[in-house]
Amino acid sequence: MIDALLAQTRNTSLIVGMIALIGLLLQKKSASEVISGTMKTIMGFMIFNIGSSAMSSIVTNFTTLFNTGFGISGITTQVEVATGMALNTYGTEVALVLLVGFAANLVFAKFTRFKAIFLTGQHFLYFACVLALVFIACGLPAPVTIIGGGIVLGFCGAALPTLCQKYMNKITGTDTLAMGHFNCIGYAFAGWVGKCIGNRKSDKGENSDSSDIKMPKFFELFRDFIFSIALFMIILFYVAVIACASTGHLDVVQKMAGNDLWFIYPMLQGLQFAAGMSVLIYGVRQFIAEITAAFVAISEKYIPNSKPAVDCPAIFPFAPTAVVIGFVGSFFGGLVAMAAMVLLKSDVIMIPAAGICFFSGGTCGVFGNAYGGWKGALVGSFIVGIGLVALPLFLYPAFANLGIAGASFPNVDYNIIGSILYNVLHFFQSIFGF
Amino acid sequence: MYKALVACRAGMGSSMLLKIKADQVIKENDMPIVTEHGNLDSLMGFNGDLVITMEDLALEIKDQVPYALGIRNIVDKVEFKVKLDAFLESKK
Repeated sequence: MIDALLAQTRNTSLIVGMIALIGLLLQKKSASEVISGTMKTIMGFMIFNIGSSAMSSIVTNFTTLFNTGFGISGITTQVEVATGMALNTYGTEVALVLLVGFAANLVFAKFTRFKAIFLTGQHFLYFACVLALVFIACGLPAPVTIIGGGIVLGFCGAALPTLCQKYMNKITGTDTLAMGHFNCIGYAFAGWVGKCIGNRKSDKGENSDSSDIKMPKFFELFRDFIFSIALFMIILFYVAVIACASTGHLDVVQKMAGNDLWFIYPMLQGLQFAAGMSVLIYGVRQFIAEITAAFVAISEKYIPNSKPAVDCPAIFPFAPTAVVIGFVGSFFGGLVAMAAMVLLKSDVIMIPAAGICFFSGGTCGVFGNAYGGWKGALVGSFIVGIGLVALPLFLYPAFANLGIAGASFPNVDYNIIGSILYNVLHFFQSIFGF
Repeated sequence: MYKALVACRAGMGSSMLLKIKADQVIKENDMPIVTEHGNLDSLMGFNGDLVITMEDLALEIKDQVPYALGIRNIVDKVEFKVKLDAFLESKK
């Protein structure tokens, strides 16, 4: 019976449902709201899983084609796919890290000088994955993973947005909002780069704010998230398929395409990937709804001096053009990083992804623009763009050993904090030999 | 009762907080508005009265929807109230 109960806790949706249940009960909601909220959260998580498994199977196809065509492992920097894979194997650990992380964030915000409440639920989940995987890769037992990972997660949620605060205040013009997107180190860096450029500029008294720049209409296409993902994945598939064709491996493509014509197949795969993303996002929206609402209600009630850390599009209205410049800058940064990996004969090649370049790169653009105008936006996002593609190389080998292969976690904070943690844990292991 | 769609580009993080804040303001002021949550794709076939989104997106979609309400500071409840009042006023 105990075994059966333990086996049941391997179901991640159920744990996420429990988190929502706790949140709803803490808010003293009515019975009907508690029941429907919990059930909808569980369904939302199931929808998320359906979407991520659809995306994983497309990524597997892509990796096969890319490896066949180029003779090297191409890894997409698509956080949703990596998360889906991690949840399949280590769902329980990840979900419990998430739960401890929420609680730890509240505790840190209440009792330390780090006052951010991290309200971007999906980012909390992705970071929970990275942290859980780091502990697991070091061979630590589940309780250590859950408590240790949760505390690190909660601390990062409360503390990392602090790095961005002075830029956030400059961008929004008030001191009410924190950045709730785990690229805080990258954003603060982009802001700092912008400041260096801005200081130089202001000597000449020249105004170079991004709002004076007119970007070509073409780039505005990428403002539609799902569309840009579809377009980007289609291009990647065509590149891989053409590489296969030109190296005489067209038979591999034809076999995978089945009934589809080999030159239509890449387009359909790209669209299928974006369709999977649509489903995944629908699921995210549903499963974070109750959890975020509870998080907001609890923090507003018990920690009135806390600062909400919100998802990056919240600052897009303050510099819409800088968002587009940042997208372009980080994308080119990513391409440069990819080219460097090819030239340096890296074992794996990280491929920039449209989603991360738009949201993370775009936010870097806004930060760089704050003091450095459009030049700050471009340079800041370019450098961080290199990091978004290059940094996952540090942790990828460890994660690939755990079976999380073909996709990686691109965000700056995941990799910097994750790598530090990984090395610290390894260091202690080598001393104490556990 | 007016039907509002709360949406952002991807429909995950920032629209979630938009919805929470909009709901708080609507409830506190007893406004005749119900909200639902979506992303850009939810605009297809949306038959409600109002779309609440971030200001940069509101400018892009204002020709496709009956009424686009763009928020600049996502935690500023006064801004929500002023803009929701303006919407209700336009319906009188």
